[in-house]
Amino acid sequence: MNPEMKIIREVNIQAENFYNAAVKLGDHAAYTLKAQHRSQMTNLENIAESAFKATDILDYIKKQTARFTYWRQPFPEDKDANTGFGERLKDYLENQLQTTLVNICGPKRLDIGNTTDEDKQERRRIYLLLIRQFIRQMVVEYEYQVSLGNASPGGKKREA
Amino acid sequence: MLSNAQLQKIYLLSDTVLYPEAVSFMRKLVQDQECDPLPASQVAGLLSIAEVTRYDELHRFVLHQRDRNWPPSKRDIKTFYTAIEDVLSVMQRKRLKDEFHMMPDIQERSVIEARQELDELMARLAREFIQHLVAENGVLAALKAEERMKQRMNRR
Repeated sequence: MNPEMKIIREVNIQAENFYNAAVKLGDHAAYTLKAQHRSQMTNLENIAESAFKATDILDYIKKQTARFTYWRQPFPEDKDANTGFGERLKDYLENQLQTTLVNICGPKRLDIGNTTDEDKQERRRIYLLLIRQFIRQMVVEYEYQVSLGNASPGGKKREA
Repeated sequence: MLSNAQLQKIYLLSDTVLYPEAVSFMRKLVQDQECDPLPASQVAGLLSIAEVTRYDELHRFVLHQRDRNWPPSKRDIKTFYTAIEDVLSVMQRKRLKDEFHMMPDIQERSVIEARQELDELMARLAREFIQHLVAENGVLAALKAEERMKQRMNRR
């Protein structure tokens, strides 16, 4: 298999693995942003798709978290019921997905080193692919939940 | 104009070096030294200067803000600009050559061209650092405002 195909395959395998985490964050987004702030999700997805750097996406999440209270709103269903949506999303991308990246770049998988600039650039590119995949999945879940009117914890229809 | 290879290198440095450094820079000031986050007016000014001007102009702006006679209530702004001037100066004098390996090659071009390239490189690097720093500043400012609000609510 050529190297590019290997990378695509690994990213897709990881997308299966982090699907549940993306769904949970999508539910959190539906709870806090509701249908009213859909543009927040579409903008995030656009930024993720067009960004040259992972930190452009992290900076965007931080800016929105600082600017809007709904980005800082926790999800009562989450085990960490004190952490807001933006902080949770940023933590996942910065920590969990970085761990995923380190694992798939290891010698038994993609075997991409971490010393030369070429290797570091390749890792950076794969990290961006992982982030994009994660955000896509999260936004799909968000859209699904708000389309059903399920913007309350547990997926129950929100009472008026 | 910077080459594609130079831009790629800057993106790499931004993601792997400047971002974590900007985060710890802001946390050190706000959490360890208990400074107030940079106010919105300063953030807007610094960002707009960083986005549009040459590095020497940005550096002059930082020096000007550092050396202003700030009233005691705004001493944290002076602390911020003093710290950022240190970071930028070390980056230009030392790190660009020794750590980032991005010093323009003087043998292949005139001194003026090399200086221009150096200015462009520093402008891009400083911009990346400032953008990360401003994003972290926003989060810390929002947290601080929420804490103050909670304290006020508890007092009632």
